[in-house]
Amino acid sequence: MFHPLASVTLSKDPRMTRSITRRELLQRLAALGITAPIFDVNHPQGLDFTHLNSPTPKKYLIETMGGGVALFDYNNDGLLDIFLVNSGHLSNPQPLPEDFDRHEARYWNRLYRQNPDGSFTDVTQQAGLANAGDGNYGMGVAIGDYDNDGFQDIYVTSYGRNVLYHNNGDGTFTDVTAKAGVAAGGWSCSAGFFDFDNDGHLDLFVTRYMVWDTQHSKVCGGEWDTYCPPGEFPAISSILYHNRGDGTFEDVSVPSGIAAQKGKGLGVSFADYDGDGFTDIFVANDGMRQFLYHNNHNGTFSEVGLESGAALTADGKPISGMGTVFQDYDNDGRPDILVTVLPREIYALFHNDGDGLFSYRSLQTGLGELTAASAGWGVGLEDFDNDGWKDMFVAQAHVLDNVEEIDHMLHYKQIPLLALNRDGRFVRADCGVTQAVAGRGAAFGDINNDGRMDVVMTVLGGQPMVLLNDDGAPNRWLSVALRGTRSNRDGLGARVRVNGQIRFCTSSGSYLSANDKRLHFGLGQADTAKVEVLWPSGTLQTLENVRAGQFLTVTEPEKPEKS
Amino acid sequence: MLPAALLLLSLAPQTASSAAAQHVHAGIEADQQGHIDQAIAEFKEATEEDPKLASAFLDLGQAYVEKHDYASAIPPLKRALELDPSIRGGHELLGYSLLAQGYADEAASHFEKAHDTAALGISLVEAGRPADAIPYLKEAVSKNPDDPDLLYYLGRAAGLLSRQAFDALESRFPDSARAHQMMAQNYAVLRDEPNAEKEYKAALQAKPDILDVHMELGQVYARAQQWDKAEGEFRIEAQMQPGNAEAFYRLGDALLQQGKVKDARVALERSDKLRPNMPQTLYNLGKAASLDNDPASAEKYWLRVLAVEKGTPLAAQSHFGLATIYRREGKQAEAARQMQEYEKLQIERPSEANP
Repeated sequence: MFHPLASVTLSKDPRMTRSITRRELLQRLAALGITAPIFDVNHPQGLDFTHLNSPTPKKYLIETMGGGVALFDYNNDGLLDIFLVNSGHLSNPQPLPEDFDRHEARYWNRLYRQNPDGSFTDVTQQAGLANAGDGNYGMGVAIGDYDNDGFQDIYVTSYGRNVLYHNNGDGTFTDVTAKAGVAAGGWSCSAGFFDFDNDGHLDLFVTRYMVWDTQHSKVCGGEWDTYCPPGEFPAISSILYHNRGDGTFEDVSVPSGIAAQKGKGLGVSFADYDGDGFTDIFVANDGMRQFLYHNNHNGTFSEVGLESGAALTADGKPISGMGTVFQDYDNDGRPDILVTVLPREIYALFHNDGDGLFSYRSLQTGLGELTAASAGWGVGLEDFDNDGWKDMFVAQAHVLDNVEEIDHMLHYKQIPLLALNRDGRFVRADCGVTQAVAGRGAAFGDINNDGRMDVVMTVLGGQPMVLLNDDGAPNRWLSVALRGTRSNRDGLGARVRVNGQIRFCTSSGSYLSANDKRLHFGLGQADTAKVEVLWPSGTLQTLENVRAGQFLTVTEPEKPEKS
Repeated sequence: MLPAALLLLSLAPQTASSAAAQHVHAGIEADQQGHIDQAIAEFKEATEEDPKLASAFLDLGQAYVEKHDYASAIPPLKRALELDPSIRGGHELLGYSLLAQGYADEAASHFEKAHDTAALGISLVEAGRPADAIPYLKEAVSKNPDDPDLLYYLGRAAGLLSRQAFDALESRFPDSARAHQMMAQNYAVLRDEPNAEKEYKAALQAKPDILDVHMELGQVYARAQQWDKAEGEFRIEAQMQPGNAEAFYRLGDALLQQGKVKDARVALERSDKLRPNMPQTLYNLGKAASLDNDPASAEKYWLRVLAVEKGTPLAAQSHFGLATIYRREGKQAEAARQMQEYEKLQIERPSEANP
């Protein structure tokens, strides 16, 4: 997995007898007009996780849908740690009661603590995360400080019972699911923390895929045995939990209007798309129209996907929505929606035109060329080359493990997509991955704190890939961490503007995964930045002449500066 | 396959001996009562009583046909025609019996004499003479356009003819451009893109100015979603055939897929000029105009689609596009009306879930 350019010794030139770093080499190559991969595909020492999905001839759908990954700093040491969701053991056929052997260590979810030297240590057992519950077949993960104690908590979704782990602040976690009342049930996929009523406490949204269980599973595909398409199973509603602020949650799916819509939710992302100060929700549905829930400010939501133009393609066709991200790709100040889908479709980019309207911009942005033959899952819009434009990374692979037998033009395992943003149009770039894999989840963050955004991508039934950004471009950057006081402590829901670029603070998005909540901005050649934070509380905070190249923590004023 | 009228034939033994005539009448009566074996025995007696009685042999043959015993039917029918070459129904019955036994060539000659174009066409197909069969089958289909057997045999004849021509092409001119093109088409049908591409390129190498090959190669790329390559091939075809509307349509579509909306509009407009009012061209023109921030033109084209397309997926898409335009223009009532039409078509035509 090491890239050939990872380490090179130039010994013939007497001035270069030392080993030069990969970055130095890339910079020299770039000066010569030679491009090189942005990522160094890495397998850090200590990260020994293998995802186990246990595929069977029964083609149980859950086999092909996991698993998630989170990048977060659980012990507040300034280094990002990695949490990986495992799936479980399936029998052929799966008997009742459903038991996925999660008590066996190889089926555990895993927490890896990052060490100062960049290696990782498996701390699953000592953190109290060892047993994921035998009735759960793992799916995804959401991260957020739901009790505002300054430590990030973990919510794990499953086919079965979801689990909320409270971070005790001493390196351990406690399963508080029963007390919190967030076990859900059925088949949960992506989830995310956000504060829908701006009360300073993080609420929780959980997508559910469909009404399905192993006893009602079936095999499709005629002469080819394949996983069934979503149309074979009934839709189901997502769940919205309201945080009461006392460590418990209330299921408000019905009174909020969320339960009024039945979908096939796989991905969820959050942003305030209409600038009204309240966070809205986008749900990526598989094989049907997408949902955009507008926040009505009174605890209810209206599903406005169709009338806003974010539900279907420009041709009025439904898509197989899987992963999603809700960020501003074209620097016009409004968050846009990107949805990953299956081949023969195109990753959907819904441009936020303002006035509550979106337009389908996949073709104009180059996604027709880049993605029509691909199947995408985890997705991020991050500025990988720090030029001030958010680029795209997508974990790719087909959902059917035997798709090549059915359609010679399609591939099960695929290389992830890295597409650099050139003034709003995406152009393929070398991501550094040379071997096609069954990519699924993807989490984004600056793992080694070098001012460049990195990626952790999960591989179905395989080892995760760590893509360390070693871009040689000499662009500057700024990383902004928010600390809410009157708003939720994570600052989720804040809108941060840096030198004209906007990011919406969220740890959600992608597919089944949770991202570093710090907000990363590429600054191009700028040495300084103007930082404006619009907090969920309504406070607008401005910082002038902020030096580039630093990790900046912005604390919300106790008293509002300006509303 | 047998016309009912033929099975009801009962030929009067006008010149038969009284004994032979009695057996014929008894046979007809037994046949009418459904006693087919008894009828056969009576007809046999009649032929033995009067070996020159053509109608008795015909009746005997017909009785065997009714019994689906075609092998036994052939000798008495042949004898009937020897005795009376113009005997009514003889050639048809013998033709059907021979055809049923696989003697298609021989059957064809009898159908020809009976002027039965449908049966003649079918027997010629079965005889491996599709080129000879096609005119008869076309004539028969024109008279009976809803006959599935005739439609099947006409299609089969065309397919066989095509295969024969391609076999000849392959065996006699294996390195010709057309032989490579044919191989490429076969690979394309099998969705074997690499080999299809290889053969199309070989065809172009053998004959660079060959028509249609760039377009077909472009379609292979298009199916593989390689739109930049598809664009290149369609562009060459359009240059080679400036009057070919399809080439410009496909070029426009490839450009549109890449988001090159202005160039797409030029190509699609050219296609529309060459072959006006093609619904897919009009729809894509509307889409390109919409993506090019020209809602007025998009509206015009999509309304033109709706003038020629009713209740189809393309009509649904046009309603959806119009709804989007009207919503942006603040014409909420119009937008709602178009969405209603769109949704009506969705309900009538549920979309297929993606596997």
